Amino acid sequence: MRDYVGLLPFLAFLFLFLLVPAYSVFQQALKNPDGSFGTDAFREAISGQNFQAFKFSITFSAGAAIVGVVAGTLLAHAASSVERPRWIKNLVTSFSGVAANMGGLPLAFMFLSLLGRQGILTKILEYFGLDLYAGNFGLGEVSGLIVVYSYFNIPLMVLVTLPAIEGLRPAWREACVNLGGTGFTYWRRIGLPVLLPSLLGGFLLLFANSFSAYATAQQLTDNSKIVPLRIGFFLGGDVSIGEDAVGYGLAAWMIIVMAASMGAYWFLRRRSERWLG
Amino acid sequence: MNSKGGQRRLGRHLILVVGAIYFAFPFIAMARFAFQNVQVFNLGRATLFDGWSLSVVTNAFREDYFWEALRLSLQLATGTALLTLFILVPTAVWVHLRIPRARVIVEFLTVLPYVIPAIALVAGIVVIKPHARWFLNSDLSLIPFYAVLALPFTYRSIDAGLRAIDLRTLTEASRSLGAGWNTTLMRVLIPSLKSALISSTFLTIAVVLGEYTIADVLLKRTLPAFMAEYRQSDPRGGYALAVMSLLATTLLFAGIGIATRSKTRRSEVTDESSLKMEETPT
Repeated sequence: MRDYVGLLPFLAFLFLFLLVPAYSVFQQALKNPDGSFGTDAFREAISGQNFQAFKFSITFSAGAAIVGVVAGTLLAHAASSVERPRWIKNLVTSFSGVAANMGGLPLAFMFLSLLGRQGILTKILEYFGLDLYAGNFGLGEVSGLIVVYSYFNIPLMVLVTLPAIEGLRPAWREACVNLGGTGFTYWRRIGLPVLLPSLLGGFLLLFANSFSAYATAQQLTDNSKIVPLRIGFFLGGDVSIGEDAVGYGLAAWMIIVMAASMGAYWFLRRRSERWLG
Repeated sequence: MNSKGGQRRLGRHLILVVGAIYFAFPFIAMARFAFQNVQVFNLGRATLFDGWSLSVVTNAFREDYFWEALRLSLQLATGTALLTLFILVPTAVWVHLRIPRARVIVEFLTVLPYVIPAIALVAGIVVIKPHARWFLNSDLSLIPFYAVLALPFTYRSIDAGLRAIDLRTLTEASRSLGAGWNTTLMRVLIPSLKSALISSTFLTIAVVLGEYTIADVLLKRTLPAFMAEYRQSDPRGGYALAVMSLLATTLLFAGIGIATRSKTRRSEVTDESSLKMEETPT
């Protein structure tokens, strides 16, 4: 037990600067206007407009996660199986390391200058008679946010799934071929089942990643549409007293959603290490 | 068979090419918009090389606010990097040496910032603020929170560095030669963890230079906050600053790559020389 004393500075640091703020969020969310314990704000945070925000956030985050999982896995597979030139794989992994962490303002600016109303690709498509904005497209809509968030989701998926893909043993494929299986049989019966935990885990990680992003979305869409921006709006102080509890309710629900998806991710990662460890 | 293999190869190359286009074009579009003063609808073969200049950046440098923001961000980056090393290195060394069983728990704690993302963390800070104004009114109070945000990256890189060296032998050798814990840490462990510490520091700087959420909600005037505000008055200037910030981040990551690579090469060399020493008859 004495050995755990050495962890005290680290634990104190985490407690003060992460756990106390997180606890305060729940404490404020579970408080009635008169200060007593109650779940009004907590329930308010998932009804009406707030419910719409959760629905919108969950929709585009799930969409962005699916696109990221599929495209990221294809990209990782392509990169790992291209033997020559060899720098391609190194380039893909190094670039993924940078791009996976590229949330924030620059990402929003990049897509505004590419696909915004005055964006260069928008104008090029217009020149060829295609009006990008004729339908429901908008950088702040589900479709647009999926396109933008894929910029960090796909590289993140490459980083998550590349070790799993490289862990697929050639012997498994040879065994399948010797038993008369085709490429399709191999993926259907061996490849995908072995990869499944890391694909599902990747989906959860990408979902959580998209769900909590603030900076990029803030530049692309209006304030009250998605959950992180709605929290920011309530924290901004332009709301009446008592209403701010709803903001903390939203933040508390966000922590719950994040905890559920990250917890499941953690579990699936352990599962995946059973075969590919 | 052959044509099928060819098709498959074509498919892979197609994926890589499409990927390259998707990742390169947004950046090119932003750089063009920032540095070329030609409206999109005037753009054509004739005007492709017109109006390029860096003046938007030099204009941004003329703002006082830019220099204040840069100063604050550099202070935050330095403070966060130092705080991170100060807390994480002793903790990670302790866990590896004394309580390896707790490694999973500590690793779990270090990924908690994923569960409590920046926007939820800042909500908590706003709650605490009335009770700790003496601390939170200072701009530098962001340092510990930024260290928390960077924790998943920084701990992992220090942890990987510790796994790569023979920690127990190094410390026992140092201790049996009479060195105390401080000497062991400063003269043995830190030099042999150099590349991991550089990686962790560069990662911290990248996180601090990119962090916008907390600064925006708490109205702290950091570099990203300046970027967002400056874009309102001069869009091209804001985009130019974003190009610069992406280049800086890329350089930091390239630095991490170089630091970790030269480390592995050096350890290979030492392995070879120690092998040779064993083979030489004495």
